[in-house]
Amino acid sequence: MTELATLTALGADAPAQRHAGALTITENAGLALASLALRRGTAQPAPFGLALPGPGGWAEGRGVSGFWTGPGQWMIEAPGRADEDFAAALAAEAPGCSITEQTDGWAAFEIVSDSGDAPIRALMEKLVNIDAAAFGAGRATRTVLDHMGVFAIRRADDRLAIIGARSSAASLWHALAETAARLEGVGT
Amino acid sequence: MLIPHPLLGLRDSSEFTYLGDAALLDRPDGMAEGAAARFHDYVHLRDNPAGIHRELWFHEQGDRSWLVVTRNTVTHEILGAELAREARLKGGAA
Repeated sequence: MTELATLTALGADAPAQRHAGALTITENAGLALASLALRRGTAQPAPFGLALPGPGGWAEGRGVSGFWTGPGQWMIEAPGRADEDFAAALAAEAPGCSITEQTDGWAAFEIVSDSGDAPIRALMEKLVNIDAAAFGAGRATRTVLDHMGVFAIRRADDRLAIIGARSSAASLWHALAETAARLEGVGT
Repeated sequence: MLIPHPLLGLRDSSEFTYLGDAALLDRPDGMAEGAAARFHDYVHLRDNPAGIHRELWFHEQGDRSWLVVTRNTVTHEILGAELAREARLKGGAA
């Protein structure tokens, strides 16, 4: 049988990475995503033991994490499981809920600072119209970045994840890498 | 302009799109007697006071919820916002 090799959202064999001063941006090619929506009258589940977060929140469980995307709706993330049928695994954990596979629709980029939260805050202030000071660890929201709708997740004080449409992955990568490079005063 | 989203706090108005007056929540019954006349009023007639309006706003670039935003068109002050679903369940737009 033909051996098919997967390409990342940016069309490469390996995930992209860019260093810019204190900031490092890495494409998270292995992130599996599935959305979970409650139906009317359904109790809120706890898939894989994960306590689903409230509005504007992100919560991490064992092997999975999730963030609130709207009333009664969440996106569930599973690092390193993009090659699996994660939506089916989630559906078994959340009976009666509407589960939709999302992995192939998105491109995720993880931004890490090696000198605390200040570079992440400065980057957020350049990129998104969100109160960066109030957007601490455990916060997540959908917003606009360079005219593209994205999810922003503050995984920790020194970590920010941006998840955007896979079809505009290169534009999103350009926006993140250029902004980080200018902010940190390094050439691109 | 910032809109106080009832779930997410203050968000920039650029994330929202405007639909119209919150009276649109009170859609007439299309099967009832005299529906044509009531739909004429529903579609075409709107109070337009200088001052406080209740309006439907959609958080398109956010959590995609519909809000009823109370806004003063004279001062541009935003006086409040609530989820349209809850406003409807409370009994229409009034």
